[in-house]
Amino acid sequence: MAGNTLTQSRCSLEGKVIVITSGKGGVGKTTTTASIGAALALEGKQVAVVDMDIGLRNLDVVMGLENRIVFNVIDAIKGKCKIRQAAIKDRRIENLYLFPASQSDNKDVVKPDEMVRFCKMLRKEFDYILLDCPAGIERGFENSIAPADEAVVVCTPDISSIRDADRVIGLLYAKSITPKLILNRIVPDMVARGDMLSHQDVVDILSIELIGLVRMDDQVVVATNTGLPLVLQKDSTAGEAFRRIAQRLNGQKDIPIQIPQSTKSIWKTIGQKLGLGK
Amino acid sequence: MFNGFLKKIFGREGSGNQAKQRLQFALIYDKLEISDDILNLLQQDIVDVISRYFEIDKKSLQLDIRKTEGRSALVVNTPILSAKRQKPIVREDPKLNRANEKKGKHSGSHR
Repeated sequence: MAGNTLTQSRCSLEGKVIVITSGKGGVGKTTTTASIGAALALEGKQVAVVDMDIGLRNLDVVMGLENRIVFNVIDAIKGKCKIRQAAIKDRRIENLYLFPASQSDNKDVVKPDEMVRFCKMLRKEFDYILLDCPAGIERGFENSIAPADEAVVVCTPDISSIRDADRVIGLLYAKSITPKLILNRIVPDMVARGDMLSHQDVVDILSIELIGLVRMDDQVVVATNTGLPLVLQKDSTAGEAFRRIAQRLNGQKDIPIQIPQSTKSIWKTIGQKLGLGK
Repeated sequence: MFNGFLKKIFGREGSGNQAKQRLQFALIYDKLEISDDILNLLQQDIVDVISRYFEIDKKSLQLDIRKTEGRSALVVNTPILSAKRQKPIVREDPKLNRANEKKGKHSGSHR
């Protein structure tokens, strides 16, 4: 079903495997994977997004592709179908393919070296392979980081998320992967009045390279509700942030990281300029 | 703006700073895998040792583990009320009796 594009277009270098992880659940890994995947595809790259949350699949619904699943990633890994049969082509965004998780298995059906072999085959077909890592640091996590060249750690400005991110960063370093950080769900007003950790605080604590700041955005819920790509939503600040992150991942290092600002009143802006608040 | 302004005036800081401090401690303790109980025991022992030489305010003694340049440092900070003039109870060796030395801060490196 994925058809011609899968086999014909790539001929040059091998693709890159990027794992999107966080330790803690519910911080926005799946939204991040779907959005960065879509944005990279919009940049003209061949992109595969793989749902590694075996038994609890969700990337399919977030991307609005849940009705089109026939085979899944486990079928492809175990040779029950051809790789291209498990790839669902996104109809809205050219060059974007989803490998859905299996819903009936558990994480132990796959071993890390099977993932390495599977990704080796995907590298020949795609420029980018994004692995949506499950929460936790058990087998699902091990499977996801085993084939990864790069890692993106998603974290929100709250204590539990940052603590888990720190743990995951340690585990990634142990595998010689230097992760990059996305700080998600920033509420600028709360940061301004000192009730939320600022991005500098989080970077201080985790001391890894920042690759993007994403503001808390109602459009994320709307996009998930409808299954439409967030990056195609017109007035989504989060969608815009993810597009910039994708460009940065794609080697456009000169794109500056925008700090989410409060949009409420001019007085607040003046106040911040005067150094009142933070 | 007014929130920030009032906080500037009255010196009340937001909960963000608290979060940062708590996190930094949590991460250090996570890495050392040392429990609060053990730290309390350590604090008790340190208080006992220092008390042989100095009169200290036992309640205001602070025991911190701080992270500096990749290393963790154990920092003990205690106000000294006065030095003890008599010989320490435990130690018999007069060379080790340095009760006259006055120092406000007592610190040492761990690891």
